[in-house]
Amino acid sequence: MVRKRLGVVTDGAFNAGLTVRLDAGVSTEKLRIGNFVVIEGEENRYFSLVSDMQLRATDAGMLADPPRDASPFISQALRGTTTYATVQVKPMLMMPRGAETDFVVDLEPPQPVRTIPMHFAELHEATENDFGAVFGHEDRRHFAMGTPLNMDIPICIDLDRLVERSNGVFGQSGTGKSFLVRLLLCGVIESGLAVNLVFDMHDEYAFGKESEDGVFVKGLKHLFGGKLLVYSLDEKAQARGGRGVDVTLQIGLNQIEAEDVLLLAEELNLRATAEANVGLLTDAYGADWLSRFLAMSPTDISEFCEQYSAHEGSLSALQRNLKRIERRPYVVPEAPFSAIDEMVAALDKGRHVILHFGRYDHPLDHMLVANVVTRRVRHLYREKAERYEQTQSPADKPRPLMITIEEAHKFLNPAVSRQTIFGVIARELRKYHVTLTVVDQRPSGIDSEVLSQLGTRITGKLTDERDIEAVLTGVSGRSFLRGALESLDTREQVLLMGHAVPMPIVVQTRKYDEAFYAAMGAGEKRSAQVDIAELFGE
Amino acid sequence: MTDESMTNEAMTKSQMAKSQRIGEIVETSTTGFVAVSKTLHQPPALGSLVKVQIGGEDYAYGVVAFGTTTSPDPGRRAVPRASDEVYDEAIYAEQPQLSRVLHTEFTAVLVGCFEEGAIRQHLPPQPPRLHYDVHECTADEVCRFSERLVYFRLLLGTQGEVPAEQLLAAHIRQVYRARGRDAAWLERAARQVTSLLRDDYDRMMTVLYGIEPGD
Repeated sequence: MVRKRLGVVTDGAFNAGLTVRLDAGVSTEKLRIGNFVVIEGEENRYFSLVSDMQLRATDAGMLADPPRDASPFISQALRGTTTYATVQVKPMLMMPRGAETDFVVDLEPPQPVRTIPMHFAELHEATENDFGAVFGHEDRRHFAMGTPLNMDIPICIDLDRLVERSNGVFGQSGTGKSFLVRLLLCGVIESGLAVNLVFDMHDEYAFGKESEDGVFVKGLKHLFGGKLLVYSLDEKAQARGGRGVDVTLQIGLNQIEAEDVLLLAEELNLRATAEANVGLLTDAYGADWLSRFLAMSPTDISEFCEQYSAHEGSLSALQRNLKRIERRPYVVPEAPFSAIDEMVAALDKGRHVILHFGRYDHPLDHMLVANVVTRRVRHLYREKAERYEQTQSPADKPRPLMITIEEAHKFLNPAVSRQTIFGVIARELRKYHVTLTVVDQRPSGIDSEVLSQLGTRITGKLTDERDIEAVLTGVSGRSFLRGALESLDTREQVLLMGHAVPMPIVVQTRKYDEAFYAAMGAGEKRSAQVDIAELFGE
Repeated sequence: MTDESMTNEAMTKSQMAKSQRIGEIVETSTTGFVAVSKTLHQPPALGSLVKVQIGGEDYAYGVVAFGTTTSPDPGRRAVPRASDEVYDEAIYAEQPQLSRVLHTEFTAVLVGCFEEGAIRQHLPPQPPRLHYDVHECTADEVCRFSERLVYFRLLLGTQGEVPAEQLLAAHIRQVYRARGRDAAWLERAARQVTSLLRDDYDRMMTVLYGIEPGD
């Protein structure tokens, strides 16, 4: 395929990238930072990204005194000779060129770059074949996330690799993170490579809603029907009917552990002494420490303090603060773990779960419920993984689980990330087949150790220096990606990087519209068979 | 005269004779020559392409770089001859001996040669011969020679009465006209100029302003 030539390589280094001098007829305005371009070396083809652009002139005198009355003739003569442009280009992948007659499929696939081309290697625009060679074509294991900025070719992420690690979706507010998460979830659900547990904290995913542009977007329940279960905290949601809530969930005081309470230290306004006091209570009363503690009268408290040498004032304050938990309508003194266990059983059968918060939209609710549920889920998954290790039977193999949480910095900031279950999951990679998808607009608030464990990162525009630094933690070649991040449009443009893509790339995100619904609906024919299999056994 | 199918090998001596004889060489060197113009007051145009035979089928190309008409007494200026009634052309009518005594000279710098059947844009190995004829190049020859622009370097390297950039500008104007106002060629020439003079912005602009097409 004929590629359009843009310029020649004139300078550069392996680490810093290559400098390409643009041809006389090529304007910088035809290129964008983050564009995917191809350098033809003598032996290899280098797939690269544009990372910077500069303007130059051969004579400083000309810059000091540009020709004033330049006719078009003179401007044309000067352009590209005395005045010219260079672009910085960073090679990401390379592939042997092969002879003219070789078929692309016979050539080796793209490899990480280990060398650079010589002087005067030509730079070309990328063609459809190049994108296909690097990013693969759309199929069951490759999900199209969007298109390159100036072309109509689908850019796919490798779903197998996506579910292998924890991932992150970042971007300032208003950059369409919820659309991105919807796309990702749809892709994973459609492929069936993993099951999802989504904590839908802002009521974005389960049911349809009106987007910022006034367009009504379909919810995942609508798109996937029986494949997806909605658990809601809001008892009124189910009663309203027609919304598709499958189960109303309640949380028992007996399910709340010390760690959950400590995670809520800021929300509940707990003092520094809370940790010590909670420790004493759990030591004394074991599993139902919370219900017993909340039932204590002032005299009971003084007795306890005497017995365990605790401070009465701080213990009373703690009780006052913890009573807020008891007051939440979905919290009951005792709830069976079976509700959550059934959720895990459904996940095991390949159904996806969205936890809908309804009118319980307070950070307190999000954090408490997410923590309690996730801990129980992981506990069960750990048991399953251990059983699988013993029996090695394919029937026992747990399905990979992806847990999606929003406002992740509340769960994963450096202060609490060591204690919360989410921090634990993020660190243990995929030991028990559970991974996280963290969604956040303040990645700088997330523990850097957790950030470095994120395999794939999908980022919308970020302007805060610290947030940009955070998102690029642990990514190689970050300095030039910074330019690409800063140049993103506020909506619909994202940078994909990490495990699920062979090289970082800027894409225009796929539209979440009728065409997309139709593409997802292609799987609906299968779901009836799934339902039958579930009802009557495999 | 300009027959497209005519190849360089077909240029014979007789055809050489047919192209305008415009002067005779009176001084010669490796880099150029001085010739006396056949027609008084009418040396070939500044910057135009001329040729002179240098042996067998070979000939050398030059660009006219200077022209002068001086008094018959070298070292002394001409004596004023005009009066209120007799001036300009009338002076020559009144004093016919002037036409015989005065002569016009022109200088040309060598920019290439035709040897072994091909046009080359470097100095010829031998200087042209004294007393040999200088011929005007036909439009066709100008077109063929100016296809490659390597010889601009030679032109820019000259040091004569006329600054090299002025000479180059004049030459480009001449070729542009000979090629029938070939805009594409003019653009190519302009780029070559900016490339060669990239380190000297002022000289470059001198040339560019000099070759701007008026239309």
